Amino acid sequence: MAGPLIQNQLLRRLERLELLARHRVRSSLKGERRSKARGQSVEFADHRNYAPGDDLRYLDWNLFGRLDKLFLKLYEEERELPLSIFLDASESMTFGTPVKFDFARQVAASMGYVALCGFDRVTVDIFPDSHDEKPLRASLRNVRGKKSALTFFRNLQQIQAGGSCLLNESLKRRTLLAKQSGVAIVISDFMDPEGYEEGLKALLGRGFQVHVILVLSREELEPNVYGDLKVVDSESGTVQEVTFGKYRLKAYQKTVNAFLEQFKNFCRKRAIGFNLAPSDTDLDQLLLSDLRKAMLWK
Amino acid sequence: MNFLSPYAFWLAVTLPIVVVFYLLKRRRKVQVVASSMLWRKFLAETQASAPFQKLKHHWLLIFQLLILALAILAMARPYFSGNVSEGGLLVVIMDTSASMQSTDVPPTRMDAAIKEAGNLIDTLSDTDQMMILAAGRQTRVLQSATSEKNKLQRALKSIEASDTSTYLLDAFKLARTLVEGQKLAEIHLFSDGAASDLNKFEPTDLNINYHPIGTRSDNVGIVSLDVRPNPDDETTRAIFAGVVNYSTNRADLIVELQWNDQTIEARPLELEPGSTDSQVFIAPQSENGIFSIKLNSDDDLAVDNQASAVSLLPKPARILLVTRGNRFLEKALNSISNIELAAVDQLTDASPDVDLVVLDKITPLAWPAVNTLAMHVTHTNWIESANTVESPVIVDWKAAHPLLRFVQLDDVQIAETLEVKTPNWAMSVVESTRTPLILAGEKEGQRMVWTGFDTLQSTWPLRISFPIFIANAVEWLNPMTSQASMVNVRTGDAMIATLEETDPNPVMLLPDGRKTSVITNPESRQVIFADTLRQGIYRLQNGSSEVVFASNLADASESDNGPREELNLGGYSQVTRTGQKRANLEIWRWLVLAALIVLMLEWWYYHKRTA
Repeated sequence: MAGPLIQNQLLRRLERLELLARHRVRSSLKGERRSKARGQSVEFADHRNYAPGDDLRYLDWNLFGRLDKLFLKLYEEERELPLSIFLDASESMTFGTPVKFDFARQVAASMGYVALCGFDRVTVDIFPDSHDEKPLRASLRNVRGKKSALTFFRNLQQIQAGGSCLLNESLKRRTLLAKQSGVAIVISDFMDPEGYEEGLKALLGRGFQVHVILVLSREELEPNVYGDLKVVDSESGTVQEVTFGKYRLKAYQKTVNAFLEQFKNFCRKRAIGFNLAPSDTDLDQLLLSDLRKAMLWK
Repeated sequence: MNFLSPYAFWLAVTLPIVVVFYLLKRRRKVQVVASSMLWRKFLAETQASAPFQKLKHHWLLIFQLLILALAILAMARPYFSGNVSEGGLLVVIMDTSASMQSTDVPPTRMDAAIKEAGNLIDTLSDTDQMMILAAGRQTRVLQSATSEKNKLQRALKSIEASDTSTYLLDAFKLARTLVEGQKLAEIHLFSDGAASDLNKFEPTDLNINYHPIGTRSDNVGIVSLDVRPNPDDETTRAIFAGVVNYSTNRADLIVELQWNDQTIEARPLELEPGSTDSQVFIAPQSENGIFSIKLNSDDDLAVDNQASAVSLLPKPARILLVTRGNRFLEKALNSISNIELAAVDQLTDASPDVDLVVLDKITPLAWPAVNTLAMHVTHTNWIESANTVESPVIVDWKAAHPLLRFVQLDDVQIAETLEVKTPNWAMSVVESTRTPLILAGEKEGQRMVWTGFDTLQSTWPLRISFPIFIANAVEWLNPMTSQASMVNVRTGDAMIATLEETDPNPVMLLPDGRKTSVITNPESRQVIFADTLRQGIYRLQNGSSEVVFASNLADASESDNGPREELNLGGYSQVTRTGQKRANLEIWRWLVLAALIVLMLEWWYYHKRTA
């Protein structure tokens, strides 16, 4: 992909965004998000009885004066919000104009940048696995801090898409490996004959707040090839012979709409955020408007 | 179940074509897509797989094959035998005479008649029957009664116009016997009406429909041709040709005389509309040959613009007179030019080397085998007579017979004559109240003239008619004369020749150059050839010898080819033009054909749209 991954102007606007967590974060690492954990911060949370060994600096002397009992003041611990971006880099993502993977990578980078600016930990988990890019992909894990953004972008830009995988299996395996839950963004075309349901359910089960970005190319939504076709699947290599004419475009779109509707219903029932993003979508529109409406960030 | 048009089953070859269309793997464009998941859902109904699996569930193909099969079955016109109410019988008479070759209705009147009759066939209902008669020199039944339109159309298309005169009488007589007893019967005549023999036909209770063919009369034709010795010069011949202009305009043309296909004289001729002109040519002749007259005229009917006559070189007639003395008879015979006369008082040789024998009151010991004029001879091989009739009165004579040309017998008295009955071979040319007086006829190729009375016992030798009769008799009995008349025939008439040699396989060379074998009667050595429907020269090749015949139309009623709007039948009846009959014309063939075309178009369009 030539040129910068994200334009500076967009970067500046992204800096003003903040990821929204629907629940208090459960991360064990300190950050700037309110959490259920008690610790050191300026935000008072509760009192508890003094126990020997407690730090005397946190005794509430005013209360001792009134009640003649020792109470300890508790403060909310601010923790980080881990952002996990599951990015599909299979062969099917290399299609479309613009290429779906390029678009997906931009979306991932943007989201990662928003998280980095918010002092959140960002992990970009790319599937399927690639032996050649193992170190490169490892460098995209647990990135934190705005200063890491440039390296993050550079590493992300070097990722090559290819190979085939089963979406469900990939998500399940990564769910098991995830040390902490948080916000999970799944960016994929979800074109897996085995489906996507099991993988997303696994993420939910691990406690992730899941958001799905469905990236499809315009050619997939509205095919512009007609006639007697021999359709070859880029990943499985299976061949379908089909006679397709303009008059059947509506029927095809009906099929696509049914697929999208089914997907949306699945997500709605499980409080999974859903966004359809054709690869020719205006990035500003998606990031600054659509995802804001989807309450991914504010 | 039977089929009226079984040939339609040939269209069944289109059934496998449709299947092949379905089986044909079209050249497909390879399109690599990200994932075929969406396509698979969508393609469930259009997914291509193994050819026969595809056919198994391809209702569209099955419907198309069904439509095609039903359409083909319909075109084969299946039917079951069953009982229905009686239909009508239509007898179609097609005039095939020479005038039907006229080109005023392009291409010819015959083609127009065939087309019009074909339209009539199309109007037949399923229960109607039709038969087709071709009225030529002989009436032929081209198709017996049937309701199968294909057979009728085939029979109709086989008709050709001949060069003969019109003979509709026989056709009408045959048609009358065919429609007898039929409740619904019609006779349809397709003709230009140039028929002269219909006044002998009384159309009692017949439903005759006349379809006149032709639009105009534009023709100049030769209506007669005769070649005779020139009385002024024996080395030359006088050729008489009658030419008539039947057009409504004046005709300017050139008349050519040809001798053996070489033009020897040509003269211009102007003919006013409706006028007749007799042209007389004088031409030398040194050998047997053919005189032809040609008209250079661009008219509607070409066949009557030419006529030919075979002219044989005259030889002196060798006559043997068997008599005890008859000065009148000898004088009459001697007055005839170009004869060699010998007289004897008894005939003992049955085959004398002469052309004809004249028996005057002498019964020969052996009856001559040559042509004979027998006067008052009893107990012959030919005539049997027992009684005599005294003072017979001549009541009738056939003035049209060649024997009695220019002969008047009303002033002849006869004392006594033999009483005979007219035998089968002869006809009575002069009759009294009780018995024939003069008989003439032919038996096994031998001609004979018999008179029953002694001329010396009558006033006849004193009359001018006697030497004329003798001259006529010599000419009629002269084998050369009969031969000359036999080699010039009218189209459609039989050509008869007696062969001198006995070649087992004589061959007839036809005017169009074709050859055909001829059957000979080995006993009489006589050849009869009746296939003379075309005008022109026929050459009978018999070993080294050759007999040449000329066949001519020369019929004024044919040359007068103006269409007749009405026909006179019998004494009082008239048949006028028949209008177009109202009928239900079937169009199912066209509809079925359209259905097939639409079926093919649908397939083609489907391919085009998805390409």
